[in-house]
Amino acid sequence: MIVIELQDATRVYKIGEMETHALRGVNLTIEDGEFTALVGPSGSGKTTALQLMGCLDRPTSGRVLLQGEDVTKLSANKRADLRRGTIGFVFQFFALIPGLSAYENIELPLLLSGANGKQRKARVAELLEAVGLSERAKHRPDQMSGGEQQRVAVARALATEPILILADEPTANLDTENGRQVMEIMLRLNEETGTTFVCATHDPRVIPFARRVVELRDGKVADDKQYEGDTR
Amino acid sequence: MFIFRLWRIAVRDLGRNRRRSALTLIAVMMGLALVITLHGFEMGAIQGSIQNNIRVQTGHVQVRGESYDEDKVSLKWEDLLEDPLALAAQAQTLAEVRAAAPVLWAGGILVTVEESVGVRVFGIDPPSEMAAPYREGLVAGEFLAPDDRGGVLIGQRLAKSLGLTVGDDVSLLINTSGEQPDEATFRIRGLYDTGIPGFDEATIFLPLAKAQAFTRVGERASAVVVLLHDQEDADTVAAALGAPGLDVMTWRDLNQLMVEGMNAAMGFLYMIYLIVLAVVAVVVANTLLMSVFERTREMGILASLGMKGRQIMAMFLMESATLGAIGVFLGVLLGSLGVYYLATEGLYLGDMSASVASADIAYGETMYAAFQWSDTAVLAVVCWIIMLLASLYPAWFATRKEPIDALRAL
Repeated sequence: MIVIELQDATRVYKIGEMETHALRGVNLTIEDGEFTALVGPSGSGKTTALQLMGCLDRPTSGRVLLQGEDVTKLSANKRADLRRGTIGFVFQFFALIPGLSAYENIELPLLLSGANGKQRKARVAELLEAVGLSERAKHRPDQMSGGEQQRVAVARALATEPILILADEPTANLDTENGRQVMEIMLRLNEETGTTFVCATHDPRVIPFARRVVELRDGKVADDKQYEGDTR
Repeated sequence: MFIFRLWRIAVRDLGRNRRRSALTLIAVMMGLALVITLHGFEMGAIQGSIQNNIRVQTGHVQVRGESYDEDKVSLKWEDLLEDPLALAAQAQTLAEVRAAAPVLWAGGILVTVEESVGVRVFGIDPPSEMAAPYREGLVAGEFLAPDDRGGVLIGQRLAKSLGLTVGDDVSLLINTSGEQPDEATFRIRGLYDTGIPGFDEATIFLPLAKAQAFTRVGERASAVVVLLHDQEDADTVAAALGAPGLDVMTWRDLNQLMVEGMNAAMGFLYMIYLIVLAVVAVVVANTLLMSVFERTREMGILASLGMKGRQIMAMFLMESATLGAIGVFLGVLLGSLGVYYLATEGLYLGDMSASVASADIAYGETMYAAFQWSDTAVLAVVCWIIMLLASLYPAWFATRKEPIDALRAL
């Protein structure tokens, strides 16, 4: 089943008179359960493609289909509704809410989606266990290492059991060991839960984890390769 | 629950930049405390001067002749009460009445060797309770005796300004019921001080009998002044004393001019309150706007999690509401302390009081504040609402950013 599809998607940013073409007609289809790496040099359009897939932004032209439904022209509120419970995000800078503990950060999307107390408690405990941070539940972001924060971010992205997780440079600010841990957790969760992962990255350490590597260059898909099994 | 969590995020955000939150809190607290203290003081001044006026001038209820003209201090027989003693006796029979006594008012000029000043002459019944404030305020010499035919009681301030003292003789030129004024010499028996400079500087006392004879009004009086146990009974007593040919007025009527004047002054004061609270609002809006700028990234994260603009707005409003509630609480506390201090210790105005007051506005030398729960509650709520209104713009501004723009701050 196709989870997300970009059809001839373009994205043009206008700054004053100047136009920047971030995407120039991208056609990309992500199937259910895939673990895809979106690679390419800086400015190739990786983050833009991810933002269109995550309904954080709208294409200048072309279409975005989420599970076959055209979401291109949805309002900001409708897109927020769609993100909640359907799409999870992992960002480069961990992106946790500074005032909340690890537990509370993971709980936040569950609160937004209206889960009751019991459901939230069970799900957060399960996720903390899955990312190996049960002992750190009460710690706030500033009391955790970068790797731990990114694991909390992964757990938070998975909280509402979304069909799609979009990770933007998830290892860029982590050392080798922490980067590997985070990627292993994501891959394991992909295999165990069947959640679809798309990672935008230019970190060569990430590529071996992916089962599919899509290369973007100058806002276009330059290459698209499938791999069987672990290439690490 | 979700609202609670939003609120929790908001509260923790306040703790993130403690110094800024504390400074905002101080601004709210000081602003509101200032407004509450000012208001308490003004209300105290109004109530105090009304009570002073009741005590030394108007009483709670006055019975006058229907045609009596207060402005002219009329002494014409037809304007005066024919049988004031009977009226006073009638008033005394009412359970609500503490005391009732006739009084005769006349305009006069006090003449010394060096100068002359216009005065109001009060013909009073010296032993009556009505005269108690003057009797208790005696600071030198003796009080008047009812049958004293040559004595006068003058205010200490007036005596001082004219260089007079107890035992000195003064000449008093007085209006009479006839066409021609009369003049006689009186000896100063005593000096009084009621604590109300405006009154003391312009009023002298004669025994009622002497004043009646001097002004040639017979047994008549300008009014019967009635004091009550409880001032709220004024309307009941006024109704009981009403009769054809009489004009019965309560302390509310008698102090109306003063209350109206003070209400006008209150209008000005409300402007000051508004300015103070507006300054506080600007501080709050500025703090919150800075907070919004600093947390652009956080808003992007929340938006990516599916939080809607109005929920982000609610979060910022809660932040402001919380800061406002704490500030308002502390402001009420500090303001109440200010009012309490001014209510017990008072603010000594001394001669300044005389300069701002007239004989009709009985400002005391020391003015005391009066604490009023209802007004304080209104001011607190208004301050809180103004804070919320001030935070609307920053909160709205926070929702204006597209998620991707907010995330670009990552």
